[in-house]
Amino acid sequence: MLMNAFVKVFLRGSSLLVALLALQSAVFASVDDAQSFALQAAEPYVKEGFQVREDYWGGDLGAGEKKAVRQQLFKGNEYWFWLGTEVERAKISVHIYDSDGKLAEQSDGWQKGHFAAAHVIPKSTGSYFIIVSVEESPEERTHWALVYGFR
Amino acid sequence: MFPFTKYLKLSAIAVSSLTLCAHGAQAPQHIDIKQLSKTVEDVVVPLPNEIFGALNKLGAVNWKEHVRSDKGTNFTERPRIALLLGAVIADGFVAVQAEDAPAVKDIGQRVLALAKGIGVGNSITPHAKAIIEAADKRNWEGVRQELDRTQTSVQQAMNEVHDEKLSQLVSLGGWLRGTEVLTSVVTKHFSADGAELLHQPDLLSYFQTRLQAMPEFKLPIIREIEDALVQVKPLIDVGSARIPPESVKKINEITTRLGYGIVTRD
Repeated sequence: MLMNAFVKVFLRGSSLLVALLALQSAVFASVDDAQSFALQAAEPYVKEGFQVREDYWGGDLGAGEKKAVRQQLFKGNEYWFWLGTEVERAKISVHIYDSDGKLAEQSDGWQKGHFAAAHVIPKSTGSYFIIVSVEESPEERTHWALVYGFR
Repeated sequence: MFPFTKYLKLSAIAVSSLTLCAHGAQAPQHIDIKQLSKTVEDVVVPLPNEIFGALNKLGAVNWKEHVRSDKGTNFTERPRIALLLGAVIADGFVAVQAEDAPAVKDIGQRVLALAKGIGVGNSITPHAKAIIEAADKRNWEGVRQELDRTQTSVQQAMNEVHDEKLSQLVSLGGWLRGTEVLTSVVTKHFSADGAELLHQPDLLSYFQTRLQAMPEFKLPIIREIEDALVQVKPLIDVGSARIPPESVKKINEITTRLGYGIVTRD
């Protein structure tokens, strides 16, 4: 009797654990997928001499939501920031502002579906704000990942 | 996180075509930074080579004189190993700038030993091997990439086991060593643009906040760094003013003292 109760509890606990692990793996897989798209966007720039950092930012946002990432940039370097999401019909954007909130990016940034990129040649060394945004998405939450490169 | 090379092999998606049909997206010319305060993510700590790259553009630097042969004591305290690991990875970037293959190979071995000491050796072994192989081939870009991967993998492995504080100490060790080298170069050949590279007040505040959240690490070197950052802060947090030569020299004295403390036993 006691054994049966133990087995039931054990099985319920195991099922819950498996479900949680599956959910966790799905969440991480999506952020990783978003990162893979961001890195794909970066790929052509490597040939132009940009060193792409291994580190990245990621998360999820609802349609119309924004996230600001603070980044130390150095005058003399040139930077590209690439944003990606795995949600194909999402529209995302990335823009760069200086510490006074003034748009600091070059005019050759681009945005196409689930990719976006912004380019900056800092006029001064200091903190900059990289604003990522999910403008439209068919999903309730849209995973995003931001990578950057410099030369 | 996956290695970047994996994505280089993904040729199916013609991302290059995106740039051909690129267009600038509309963005407001000005935003209110104060309104962002609740949505701002933590800063990403730049790698030393990001600063060294900017420094290189200001004039030729004799990187060989900044290569360090003393790679530090064998510590048992994990916070000390983490700080030293960050500093040694930064030394790797200096050795790459100097194109010093023997130093890079020594650093590759040292990084692996330290990573093992902190319990993340398994995730570092392939990177250490790749660093040594790339140094043998004098593939400096390859070494640079592997050093970046090493730091990211170490930190990721630590974060996975909820050792975020040690991960932050790796970043701090690297930042201090990078700042020591930067100030040494700029002290010898002062330029306003070189000194401006020290303008990193948010990064310094970030490290201060992180150190304040580590009261359990009762090591003298940690408290010494905490005190030193208080001294450095007003020297680099100068707004739009220029950082004078005496400030650069002072920061160099402070970071050199800390650097010595990180590699030697108390």
